[in-house]
Amino acid sequence: MAARRNNPSGIVPTIQNIVSTVDLDCVLDLNHIALHSRNSEFFPKRFSAVIMRIKDPKTTALIFASGKMVCTGAKTEAQSKLAARKFARIIQKLGFPAKFRDFRIQNIVASCDVQFTIRLEKFACTSHGAFSTYEPELFPGLIYRMKQPKLVLLIFVSGNVVIAGAKKRDDFYTAFDNIYPVLAEFKK
Amino acid sequence: MATFELYRRSTIGMCLTETLDEMVQSGTLSPELAIQVLVQFDKSMTEALESQVKSKVSIKGHLHTYRFCDNVWTFILTDALFKNEDLQENVGRVKIVACDSKLLTQ
Repeated sequence: MAARRNNPSGIVPTIQNIVSTVDLDCVLDLNHIALHSRNSEFFPKRFSAVIMRIKDPKTTALIFASGKMVCTGAKTEAQSKLAARKFARIIQKLGFPAKFRDFRIQNIVASCDVQFTIRLEKFACTSHGAFSTYEPELFPGLIYRMKQPKLVLLIFVSGNVVIAGAKKRDDFYTAFDNIYPVLAEFKK
Repeated sequence: MATFELYRRSTIGMCLTETLDEMVQSGTLSPELAIQVLVQFDKSMTEALESQVKSKVSIKGHLHTYRFCDNVWTFILTDALFKNEDLQENVGRVKIVACDSKLLTQ
């Protein structure tokens, strides 16, 4: 298991949401699934997938007729895989030959608080400005597109930081380690 | 004009359907006429509920299951409380079937 990075501040970002996809490898009859399963919605005119939710782990799945499924709402990678397996089990019980192919985590969103206020205007004006987008009239947060690892950070004046676009847990630990000293520079 | 056949599942609707079935079986009534009666029942129920029913009730409970398919919402509530201005009633389990009224006028 990857060790927690030694961050001088001791702050570790907490994961808020994980989006993953899996291929069930069989064609699905969405009408049948919506009629015979609990806690599902199917409105083909609006969106051509069944929206199903389970309580434990508290997650939502989008199930498409092609057999592909998107699972969102889990707080850890293990929970996301478990939830996807539970959804696949429900589909299996309904009579479809569902398999569990190609489980992949597509996006992890995490947030943390650096515990100090940040001067965003200064930040955007420096060399880091190449990576930043800061338009206070449009959105109160600074959008920092990090190249390595390739993900997006939303930095707010209050010190809250949201990291999105990571595919692995280590990615956002690295990103936070990279951005923390920079943020400390622009402490108010 | 299409009708919502969900009122046929109510007690009064089931009694009507049973009676009509008996009459069709015994030959007193033709099947087409029986269907016409049921369609008229649907229309009358819809109209009566729209114009003659004024009371409102608030239903609060724990949502056990929900389903949305074919433009029909089905909810199952547990420990529901039906509240009216005059009275309130606790029900252990209630199933709510709801159709979109906008589809009637399409």
